[in-house]
Amino acid sequence: MRLRHGCDLNPGTRPASGGRGGARVKAAWPIIFLGCALPALAAELDGLGWLSKMATASRGLNYSGTFVYQHGDRIETSRIVHFVNAAGGEFEKLETLDGPMREVIRTNDQVSCYLPDVKTVIVEKRSARRFPALIPEQLSGVSDNYTVIVAGMDRVAGFDCRVVVLEPRDQLRYGHQFCAESGSGLPLRARTLGEKHQQLESFAFTEVKLGGRFSRDQVKSRYADKSKSWKIDHSALVLSDVPADTGWTLTRQPPGFKKLTEMKRSIAGRAGMVSHIVYSDGLAAISVFIEPLPKTRPVNSLTHQGAVNIYVRPVSDHMVTVLGETPAATVMQVANAMELRTGRGR
Amino acid sequence: MDKISEWMDGELTERETRRQIERLKQDAELHHCWATFHLIGDVIRGEPALSRDFERRLAERLKGEPTVLAPRAPAARRFATYALSAAASLSAVAVVGWMVFVNDTLAPKPEVAQSTVTSPPAAPPADLQLANVPSDGTMNDYIIAHQEFSPSSEIQGLAPYIRSVSGARPIRDR
Repeated sequence: MRLRHGCDLNPGTRPASGGRGGARVKAAWPIIFLGCALPALAAELDGLGWLSKMATASRGLNYSGTFVYQHGDRIETSRIVHFVNAAGGEFEKLETLDGPMREVIRTNDQVSCYLPDVKTVIVEKRSARRFPALIPEQLSGVSDNYTVIVAGMDRVAGFDCRVVVLEPRDQLRYGHQFCAESGSGLPLRARTLGEKHQQLESFAFTEVKLGGRFSRDQVKSRYADKSKSWKIDHSALVLSDVPADTGWTLTRQPPGFKKLTEMKRSIAGRAGMVSHIVYSDGLAAISVFIEPLPKTRPVNSLTHQGAVNIYVRPVSDHMVTVLGETPAATVMQVANAMELRTGRGR
Repeated sequence: MDKISEWMDGELTERETRRQIERLKQDAELHHCWATFHLIGDVIRGEPALSRDFERRLAERLKGEPTVLAPRAPAARRFATYALSAAASLSAVAVVGWMVFVNDTLAPKPEVAQSTVTSPPAAPPADLQLANVPSDGTMNDYIIAHQEFSPSSEIQGLAPYIRSVSGARPIRDR
């Protein structure tokens, strides 16, 4: 256990415990420093290393398995297959095993959601390239906003895994707890914890197979052919690579959050263009969507899906929708601080 | 492994346990480790954490309590006294038990008129007190659009997309 570095439990080797005499304190100082400060720093780096390792594993490994998604009092089971070909192409398939049939397919930078009951495919394409793993900037955001603790081992889906805890440094974000397979680093379990450490949401494999060969068929939609006659919502494609100025600004940015990107895009099921601005603290993200008011003026509303809170608020003749995997208060704070810059000489 | 974790796992004999309690009383650093291990355990099990300094404040309040020599209170009261004295031996398990017990039975319960829905923490007090209800699926398109930009997708791959397709059928008004 990492933490035990700072807590040597063997009385025989503990330097000057209690350190009652002044001289002993002085003499023990460098040892205490080495015994406490360095391990603390090393533990932090170790934790960030595990986060990186998790991202690299879930993007770069071949694996397949069944996982359970738990939120509130609901449990849903899904099957997932992830496959990377020799050329580095990334393919992934998620299919729900209970409730309405749903499939989510990733082909590199494109994600398609197949909804057979309404005969619809929603295609979300990100034109900017995804990074192969967490970038250092993100990791420094994580350590600014969370205390990263590498804590002990656990077992998930028959594999030993390393527990990595992210304690939020303030109330603006949730806590997270991962369990990463001890060899590969693949996250086998991910929990989001509320401010009283209550579990808001959990993803956990119940069965997983690491490595192995895959055929392209295993990551294809079973509706690949059928869906040709379905409604395809290509409207969700981002139209421009170039981040655009939407004219909207966040007057009071919540501490620790930085703007990731800003663009004008279309959203499945919405007629006009929608402004989309994303803020992140390195781990959690908050999206702001701004569009013209629909025919029926919306009232302020607060909903959630698992750990994602969603707040809708009309601002003059616009509808502002803010959502993110953060506490409701943070999402509302962002929504209430969005302002349209008036056209003076931009 | 060391004695502390064996103790936490309930693997020590009664005599060894007594010895560990004595060690803990005399050694602040060891005591700190004990507390940290329990905190880690609580976090792993997803249990609510006690507030900072809970132990010290409880000990202070216990000092102020009169010693009950002949308890003749009703059952609930007796249990509380027993739990309090157990807590005095700094057993974290007893402290948590006492907390739960006291919260459940003795403390006045605030009447919260809420829907039965379990929801993440509600809005800030300064803002409109909106009930936070589960999404009915109308927000799924936004969740899909958001997901691709969330670092959680980089750590967990496609799994978080289950949020945007889970549960309620999408109600699409266009």
